[in-house]
Amino acid sequence: MSMLSRRQFVQASAFAAAGLLAGCGSSGGDAAPAADASEYTLVNEGKLTCISNLFFPPFESMNEATGEPEGFDIDVSKSLAEHMGLEVNWLPSQDFDTLVPTIKNGGKADVAIAGMTITDKRKEEVDMSDPYVDSNQSIVVKAGSSETAETLDDASKTIAVQGGTTGADWADENLPNATKKRLSTIIDAMSGVQSGLYDAVVCDLPVSRYQIKMSYSDLEIIEEIPTGEQYGIAVSKDNPGLTAAINAALAEMETDGSMDAIEAEWFGSAL
Amino acid sequence: MGHTATGKRTAVAARIAALAVALMLLVPTSAFALTTNKATARPNEDGGSSVIGGLPTRLTWEGSVEDGEEVTEVTLTLPEGSSFDGSTTKVTVLEGLSRASIDSEVAASGSMLTVSFAEPATSGLLLRLEVEGMHFPDDGGDVVVSGTYVNQAGTQTLTDSKPIKTIANTSLQKMIASLDANPVVAAWNSNPFLGMFFKPQLLVTAFSTLVPGWLLCLVIVVVAYPFAIILGLIFALMKISKSRLLRAIAILYINILRGTPLFLQIYIMFFGLPMMNINIDNNVLGVIVIAINASAYLAEIFRAGIQSIPQGQYEAASSLGMSYFQTMFDIILPQTIRRVIPTVTSDFITSYKDTSLLSSVGVMELMMFAKNLTSVSGNMTPYVAAAIFYLIVTLPLIKAVGIVEERIANSERGGGPRPKDKGAKDMSVAEAEAKLSELAVHASALDDEHAFVPSLSPMNASFGTEV
Repeated sequence: MSMLSRRQFVQASAFAAAGLLAGCGSSGGDAAPAADASEYTLVNEGKLTCISNLFFPPFESMNEATGEPEGFDIDVSKSLAEHMGLEVNWLPSQDFDTLVPTIKNGGKADVAIAGMTITDKRKEEVDMSDPYVDSNQSIVVKAGSSETAETLDDASKTIAVQGGTTGADWADENLPNATKKRLSTIIDAMSGVQSGLYDAVVCDLPVSRYQIKMSYSDLEIIEEIPTGEQYGIAVSKDNPGLTAAINAALAEMETDGSMDAIEAEWFGSAL
Repeated sequence: MGHTATGKRTAVAARIAALAVALMLLVPTSAFALTTNKATARPNEDGGSSVIGGLPTRLTWEGSVEDGEEVTEVTLTLPEGSSFDGSTTKVTVLEGLSRASIDSEVAASGSMLTVSFAEPATSGLLLRLEVEGMHFPDDGGDVVVSGTYVNQAGTQTLTDSKPIKTIANTSLQKMIASLDANPVVAAWNSNPFLGMFFKPQLLVTAFSTLVPGWLLCLVIVVVAYPFAIILGLIFALMKISKSRLLRAIAILYINILRGTPLFLQIYIMFFGLPMMNINIDNNVLGVIVIAINASAYLAEIFRAGIQSIPQGQYEAASSLGMSYFQTMFDIILPQTIRRVIPTVTSDFITSYKDTSLLSSVGVMELMMFAKNLTSVSGNMTPYVAAAIFYLIVTLPLIKAVGIVEERIANSERGGGPRPKDKGAKDMSVAEAEAKLSELAVHASALDDEHAFVPSLSPMNASFGTEV
């Protein structure tokens, strides 16, 4: 989609939203959503309703003081909504492994923006947007530990992962002999390694790097695993128009530099 | 994205360098310049960790391009019986941790998969092929990924991967496959609600894979509960004791444990203790947390039970010259036990359900298995199966509580089973009972609020067979 048609699209949908709001006052809002202008439906008209697991810094976390969601993905969602002429609305955190089913079932949220790798398995359940950031995997252990990927693949070792993540998949596939514990959040996993409950965590490299820098200084990354995976935004298969609109907005964010600005804010430089 | 451009630039530079080296040497010196790093397969056993033959799974193959090499094509070959048909392949070329953009085309047929690159992959690059939806041979066994690749010097042989262990299709998986093929099941699953919460295939899987978790739940609560009862009784006696210190300790213990979420107590125990270098097995720790938490609730139940026994009982006991402990253990507690059985059973049910919270700290109990299965399948059915496992235990207990409550209510009223009851009883017994209950009704009618008379009957009963 070209820049011009994007602009027209944003204007048209903003116009349609305004028209709908005006219409609500008189007719009680039973008129069909302005389907001609925006070819997608939203859970809350005029709002991009997002869900995530908000314990995945720097991609998403809750501000300690305000409890508001913040992070790379949150900024992406804001910019995305802005480019689409919508407001952004974040729902409370939920477990990562429930995000795909929630989006698939629909009715609660429009999109899941959750540092979610685009995989064929997920694409069977939901549509994924174009990739917006690259990621890799990592193995994290206690600093000074002599563990390696080889020694961890042993029945006596416990690997903590976040349920439903590609890190969990990687551990299942590459550390078949170790006991895997699937936890709700990556914070639980890292705390467990810190306290000695688990031997290692397998998780996305940007997350482990950030966590070790910010709060888990007594942990270290023993292996950076190149997987070249890419994060995408999950949208219901019933809503292909929204996926298309998101892809268009993402492309625009790449070209107008908004994505670079967000990357610079959260990773120190444009990736 | 920024890195793509730089990636390309360095890739081009590397290519020129590699080309120069290749030209200088004219012939590639090493026959195995594309090193097979690994070949792995994603476990496709629902709730298990095995790779099952004959069912779709994902094969991941990784190879690094060595010095002086330009790889234009990679062909993976699997043993007879494997199939790449219907698979989709994701090709990722990585330079270090960043993606290099090299377009590729994939052709899959039978047990061969060929990836051709639009531009040659040069030295230092990592080639990563993820083949989703491929099948290993039905019979299982160790599968070695072999193949060939094409570099500037022609077709070369790939080093064989380490074998991937696969197992033969299980009867459970065959049953699921037959459900998959069933049109009724398909129609059922097409309803979003039924498909998400009551998918028959997953119910079958869940019932077989959740059993160890269910047993662990039962073991934890059954082992924990006797300790909880003993601890609870001790704290109940402390709370009603005359010593101010004992009372204070008991009140502190009970109020803190009842006043904070069990979730928090679990976190403190599981993350706190190891930090103090106290390492206890997870399951044992689970038993300890559940026992301690339940003991606080039980202490309150026992205290209320003890205090519900009328003062007259104590007076009667002391008039017989009984000591405090004799009174407590021979007179008061036996009656208390009768009275608290329903409440304690309810608390047992609560504790049994509370074991689910242990999943958050990695105890492999029922919820953990259900969560595992849900995260693998992206479907809520395993949670429904877990709910059924909880109900198998809780429903009979709830029923039992009802029956016990009714019996106690009856005996507190002074009556046993009514003569109208259709029991296989001797006439004489029934008659005698009828008379007895008449008497009891008279007695309680005469003196309803005076607790002494009706309270004697549970005391007598408690010395009999009941406790």
